[in-house]
Formats: sequence, structure tokens, C-alpha cells
Amino acid sequence: MSGIEIFQTWIIAFFTLALFSFLYKDNPFYKLAENIFAGLTTGYQVGLIWDTVIIQKLWNPITQYQAWWKFYFGSYGDWWLIVPGILGFLMFSRFFRDYSWLSRTPLAVVMGVTSGVFLTTQIHGLVLPQMQSTMLALWSNQGLVASLLAVVTIVGVISTLIYFYFSHEHVGALGVTAKVGIWFIMISFGAHFGYTVMGRVSLLIGRVQFLIEDWLGSFTHIF
Amino acid sequence: MSFWERFEKMDRRWVYLMVAITVIIPFLIPMRFPISVSPEARKFYETVDNLPDSSVVMLVFDYYPSTIAECEPMAIAGARHLFKKHCKIITLSNIPYGGPSMAESVTRDVAEEFGKVYGVDFVNLGYKYGYVSVLKGMGVSIESIFPTDNRGTPLSELPMMDSIINYEQVDFIFEVADNATADYWISIVNAGYGVPMGVGCTAVMAPKFYAFFGAGQIVGLLGGMKGAAEYEILINRREKAFRGMDVQSLVHFLIIGLVIMGNIGYFITKTGKRKIIV
Repeated sequence: MSGIEIFQTWIIAFFTLALFSFLYKDNPFYKLAENIFAGLTTGYQVGLIWDTVIIQKLWNPITQYQAWWKFYFGSYGDWWLIVPGILGFLMFSRFFRDYSWLSRTPLAVVMGVTSGVFLTTQIHGLVLPQMQSTMLALWSNQGLVASLLAVVTIVGVISTLIYFYFSHEHVGALGVTAKVGIWFIMISFGAHFGYTVMGRVSLLIGRVQFLIEDWLGSFTHIF
Repeated sequence: MSFWERFEKMDRRWVYLMVAITVIIPFLIPMRFPISVSPEARKFYETVDNLPDSSVVMLVFDYYPSTIAECEPMAIAGARHLFKKHCKIITLSNIPYGGPSMAESVTRDVAEEFGKVYGVDFVNLGYKYGYVSVLKGMGVSIESIFPTDNRGTPLSELPMMDSIINYEQVDFIFEVADNATADYWISIVNAGYGVPMGVGCTAVMAPKFYAFFGAGQIVGLLGGMKGAAEYEILINRREKAFRGMDVQSLVHFLIIGLVIMGNIGYFITKTGKRKIIV
């Protein structure tokens, strides 16, 4: 372990312990770690967007091909990127009350493009395949268990969908089916909650694993 | 005040202390609880294992550093399995915070174990903003979205990328994610371009992805640290996730115990209160 690696390990350990200290009660170490994290991530995000979007996707394609000059000499290059650039710039007009209406144009473009892309991908990629997977034969040659699972899937899907049908009062057969739907939803919530607990515990394990194996391990390199 | 009343009013910090002790003990005294391999993880492993040698695989690092405990062991195990099969690995990330650098450190470390060379056996494309346009754009040309790799080398200078134009040359996508980008890989790339994929995700996301596995949209699923431990068992390299599962099991016992005791306490004290009111 080199000196810089030990230093890094100690910095990570300090911030991990500072954040964990909140579990006892709020304190200056927690506040310090929280504020440094907020500042760092904001700065990093601004720098990253500046580099990967403004420079790499806007400025470089325009200037590397010398579009300004080529424009005058008959070549158009990537000059059209100025259009999305101006649209993006117009988003900042929201900060000025008199000109905030200008931001509606880029927002309209974003909404139009997003709707177009998402409608097709969501229907083609998510809704249709999921619907298709619930259209099962109730009796298959794969055995009794497969048939039972198919019945459970179909009952679960139909009853859950009926629970979310609000145009008619949930009474009679509709009410009974909706109640079955609630049971399926509750079981699903239980599975989600169980997995969430497992996930959160895993994150704690990761931190403790770091503190025991890496941070305490670094002591042997120092002393 | 009865035991159950005191239990109900217990300061939550005692629970934190109990969890902390339960987490630390198995690191000092390993318990080796048995871990079974789920059919989802086995199918994932078998699909990767059945890929022809030298297949092109995208190993996607769509997770933040906050979920390293769950996701990194999956990525490491995946990289080991792929390099063992001499697959060509393209890594990329749709996560701005740390994704590309985690891809860099994981693949370079694992590549060293297998004697793989950067640019010939693996390439790290890095990160680009706007995952929907990135995923759709790579369907036409990977180079148009990532003109350079993570370190600024033009893709045209990397021999491995000579024959890789778009998804048509990609045989499999190994997605490791802690957020909704995995949905877009399924809905845009798998559904749109027919590239088979497997998903390794955090435990919080896993229930949702069972539906994709059931529908055959993904060939396999690794859910949380348990999924990572399963993959480690399958490739016969029992490391961080496997070691973490002892702790996981013990903390689950503690939580189940506390939930049961909390419920017993609730019903006993509730009955007592009712009696007082009557």
C-alpha cells in the first residue's frame, strides 16, 4: 500500500465514520461531510456536463471542423449544431421574468422528442412483451406446477388491474376481484420491502467491510 | 413498566448498536452459512458460458459508488468470467458519478490477472450525457457517440474497435445497474436491436426485474449481494460478496427477531390498554 493509497483510505474512513455518527445524533462532523459531499457533487456535475456536452458535443464539432470559416468558404460542416445550442441557451431565460416565455420553445422540443422516443420504446419494449408474457396457456405439457403458476399469473394480473379500475364502485364480483388484487399488491410490497432491507444491509456490509479490511488493514502499513 | 412496554419505547440507537455488533462479528468469526444458487443466476452464468470464444460483450457499469457493495462484486465476477472465455469487453457507463472510473479500475485489475491488453481485448468508452440518445445512437454507430475512449484516445486507434461498428457486432450485454437505466437497455437495445442481455442489479430493484426475466426479455438476473455471491460461486471465485453473505444472513435473523418481538409487544400492550379502557 503506497502513501497516497493510505491517505485515500483514511479520507474515505473519516467521511464514512462522520456520516455514521448521525445515527447517534446530529453533529458538526456529519454536517461537514454532508456539505462537502453536496459541494463536490455539484461541482463535479457542472464540470462533467461542461466537458461532455458543451465542449465535446457542441463546441468541438463546430470549431474542430472550423465551421465558421468553412461556412464562408462554401463548406457547411456541423454549423447546424448552433440551433440546438441556441435552444439550450434559451432555457436560461427562465431566470428573467420578462423573457421566461422564450424557454417554452426548447421545452416544447424536449417534450416532443421525449414523447416520440419513449412512446415507441415503452410500448414496443416494455408493455407489449409484458402483456405477451401473461397470455399463457392454463394447461401446459410442462406439468402441474407450470399450469398452477400460469393460473396465479393470470389471476394476479386481472385482479390487480381491476383494483385500479375506478369507474365503477367496487361491489359484488368487482369488489371481490379487487380484494384479491389488493392481496397480490400486498404480497408484491412485501417482496419489495424484503429486498429493500437486504439492499440496505448490503450497503452497510460494504462500508463495514471497508473499515475492517481496508482501513484497519492500513494500520499494519503505518505501524 | 413491563418488559414489552420498555421494549416498545426502546431508543432506536440500541437497534443500531445491535445491527452494528451483528455486522462486525461474522467478519471476525466467519460462519459459512450455505448459499444456494438461484435458477436466474444459473441461467445468466450458462448464457455467458455458452458464448463462443472471442465474442464481443458490453459490460455496463450503470451504478453509483454508493452501491459498490452490491454491484462491484457482480462486475468483477462478470469481467473474470468474460476474460476467462477470451471475450472482447467494451465497458461504458450512463452514470456520471464514478461510473467510468469504476469501469477503468475493475477491468484493468481483472485484465492484469488474465494478461489481457487494453485496446486489443477490452476498451473503456467512458460516459456520455443523455442515456436515451446514447443507447439509440450506438445502434447506428458507436463511434458517433463515443469518438474517443475514456482517456481521449480516438476509437480508430484502438484495434479492437476496427470491426465493431454498432450493436450488430455485440453478442451480449452484461448490465450492472442500480437505477432505471437498466429498463432502457431492455426497452431500447434488447427490444429494438435484439441483443441478448442479463441484468445484475441492486436488491431494491430485483423484484421488478423478475418480470423481465419471466417474460424472457433478459436471460438472467443477479439480485443484490446475494446475486453477486451466486455468480462468485458459479465462477468458483468466492470473494467479497460471498464473505458478506454471512453478515447478511445474521442481520436478517436479527431483523426478523425484532419484527416478531415488536409485533408480540404491540399486541400484548394493546390488549393491556384495552383492559384499562374497559
